[in-house]
Amino acid sequence: MKLFQWAVAAAVILTQSVPDAPLLADETTDSINSLKQKIEQLDQKLRILERNRELEKEAAETKAKEAPKISVGEKGFSFGSSDGNFAINLKGVLQADSRTFFKDGGIKGNDGFLLRRARPIISGTVFGDFDFLFVPDFGGTSGTVIQDAYLNYRYKPELQFQFGKFKSPVGLELLQSDPDTSFNERALPTDLVPNRDIGAELHGDLFDGRASYAAGIFNGLGDARNSNNADFEDDKEFAGRLFLQPLKKSGAPVVQGLAFGVGGSYGNSSTANALPATTGGTAPGYFTDGQQQFFAYRNSVVASGKHWRISPQGSYYYGPFGLLGEYVISSQQVQTNTLTTAALDNTAWQITGSWVLTGEDASYKGVVPAKRFDPSSGHWGAFQLVARYAHLAIDRDAFPQFADPATSANSASAWSAGLNWYLNRNVLVKTSFSRTTFSGGGGAGVGAPAIVTRQPENVLFTRVQLAF
Amino acid sequence: MNSTKSLMVFTAAVAFSVFSSLAKEVKLLNVSYDPTRELYQDFNAAFARYWKEKTGDTVTIQQSHGGSGKQARSVIDGLEGDVVTLALAYDIDAIAEKAKLLPADWQKRLPNNSSPYTSTIVFLVRKGNPKGIKDWDDLVKPGVAVIAPNPKTSGGARWNYLAAWGYALKKNNNDETRALEFVTRLYKNVPVLDSGARGATTTFSQRGIGDVLVGWENEALLSIKEFGADKFEIVAPSLTILAEPPVAVIDKVAKKRGTIEVAKAYLEYLYSDDGQEIAGRNFYRPRAEKAAAKYARQFPRIDLFTIDEVFGGWQKAQRVHFSEGGLFDKIYQSAK
Repeated sequence: MKLFQWAVAAAVILTQSVPDAPLLADETTDSINSLKQKIEQLDQKLRILERNRELEKEAAETKAKEAPKISVGEKGFSFGSSDGNFAINLKGVLQADSRTFFKDGGIKGNDGFLLRRARPIISGTVFGDFDFLFVPDFGGTSGTVIQDAYLNYRYKPELQFQFGKFKSPVGLELLQSDPDTSFNERALPTDLVPNRDIGAELHGDLFDGRASYAAGIFNGLGDARNSNNADFEDDKEFAGRLFLQPLKKSGAPVVQGLAFGVGGSYGNSSTANALPATTGGTAPGYFTDGQQQFFAYRNSVVASGKHWRISPQGSYYYGPFGLLGEYVISSQQVQTNTLTTAALDNTAWQITGSWVLTGEDASYKGVVPAKRFDPSSGHWGAFQLVARYAHLAIDRDAFPQFADPATSANSASAWSAGLNWYLNRNVLVKTSFSRTTFSGGGGAGVGAPAIVTRQPENVLFTRVQLAF
Repeated sequence: MNSTKSLMVFTAAVAFSVFSSLAKEVKLLNVSYDPTRELYQDFNAAFARYWKEKTGDTVTIQQSHGGSGKQARSVIDGLEGDVVTLALAYDIDAIAEKAKLLPADWQKRLPNNSSPYTSTIVFLVRKGNPKGIKDWDDLVKPGVAVIAPNPKTSGGARWNYLAAWGYALKKNNNDETRALEFVTRLYKNVPVLDSGARGATTTFSQRGIGDVLVGWENEALLSIKEFGADKFEIVAPSLTILAEPPVAVIDKVAKKRGTIEVAKAYLEYLYSDDGQEIAGRNFYRPRAEKAAAKYARQFPRIDLFTIDEVFGGWQKAQRVHFSEGGLFDKIYQSAK
């Protein structure tokens, strides 16, 4: 419009400075009107151009919002639809461990490096409410296995339904994600709880995350066993857990990290496979931090009825300090080939404390270093001290009919201490020492558990972990 | 198998406790079209008061606005609207047909084909009507810049288009070819094609573009209220279309979210005296006689035709005019 004003002013000056005004006035007025019209037309064209450009920009922004989203970062690789209804995430866990045993009475073949876990993790969402997880494992000593494979329907956060293979909802430390545990190996109570099993579970978070529940029916597992891909026995196991963090939203850091609950299972089982895992030995039994078997049932013993577990559990995290504890009773009806039966109540407990030396917050989900490892900038990541005491006691009635008191220990006590170095969110280096002492066992024999219980177990662990 | 029975009992108990523990604070999402922002802000507050008094429950209504077709697509793609209040029935039909979120006969569930208020298509011109626009014929004259949104994305724009087409048909003794020529000439005069009705109003009234805005009567009246009668005036064409914006509960979403009862009540309240009063106050033509009489003076008397009368209903109109490769695509290509 400034141009228009200038034109008018120029026209006025021109009109006043020219002698034959009447004649020229008409021409000037026409010129001004013509000029005005042209300016208005130009003004409209300019406005139209600007508006169209604005609309094109809006359309481009909308299109960008609607475009599939791809991200690569410390939480892995993910791509999904713009509305979030469809997504696939690729993650992974790699744990390269070493175990070095000291004063082990000459046990051969227990020292060495191992690929403890090598898991690509594929998770995602379809149609907004259906989540899936698929985790094969190429590490460990059992060959390639499918660790997790399930579909979860989120009706709402409070009400979700999961179907497939996943962790049975009983043990607190077992339910902790593998990369987040304080030590390389979980404590003795994990010997008494079911691991991953195939089944269906109703679960959810209540009261804005202050409580969570899980209740499901599973094929049923012996202690510390992992499920096969199929189990066509009629006996099934019911497992459930209620976990509360009542002061989570209180705003008071000193109490909001307090959580407690109880997990349990109930079922019937009647095969040898329903007894504990054979980890570290050849017969069903329990194993140490060093994954050596210290207790085994006699070969003639099978599970023969009720199996129930109950596990009160809790954790507390406040700033760099963390505490985790659990107690487990696992009661299993067993039977010998002479049809002698007994309900054996094996118990275990543990308490694990941790302190992040560099001041970051400790949590059930691990530690996030405030400054990632970068020596050139003088940053070294986060360091955490960890300590643990655990105890497992075998029911005295197990001896001598169901287990050999000369070879199997009737209890094991383990203390452990270690240092965890979080270089960044993805890389962790761990080292720890664990000593386990036994009561009973230690008699003649060339295999586990006799050679294991003959002396305390002293083992140094190291781990280099990549998890994203 | 006892374990299975135990699980079922436990599941039922947990589910019951979960549902019964939910507080009586209800949230509704109303997925609506572009120009209804003010109407539903007003209406939502009234309904929340009504529902509180009736049940003691607190209801909070969230609004989502955009081009009607685009909004329907969002619901089909997963936007969890408890209710939709869109510009035209075809968009809700699409939700019923493609996403199966409500039954196909949804229009029978509420009076007046589930359309609690109506509107129509008029012209908004600048004060003094410098281009002398009186009827549809004036919009196809050379040098007249017409502002109208895109019928592919905007429900209001489809009403615009069909109003122009209906006029051309009547003027040309139902000659489809001449109607096509007329509407093609009209869209040649459209320099900016906004995606929604509110955007077109912005283009015309705030950006100062164009000589005439073709659009919702309620939007035109709102512009005069907001910008002043000294800025714009409304021109009623000799013939235009009766626009019937429909409403519906999205059954599957509302059931899932536990809001079905309040969602139904919300839409039924649109038909109440209070709801009709609010519609009239916000420049929509009320269905109820009492409110219609009260607000009759603000609406010009125009000859109106319905979509069923001229186009055989929305399904047919959509297929012929607005589907991929339909008549509008051809018009738009030749208008470029």
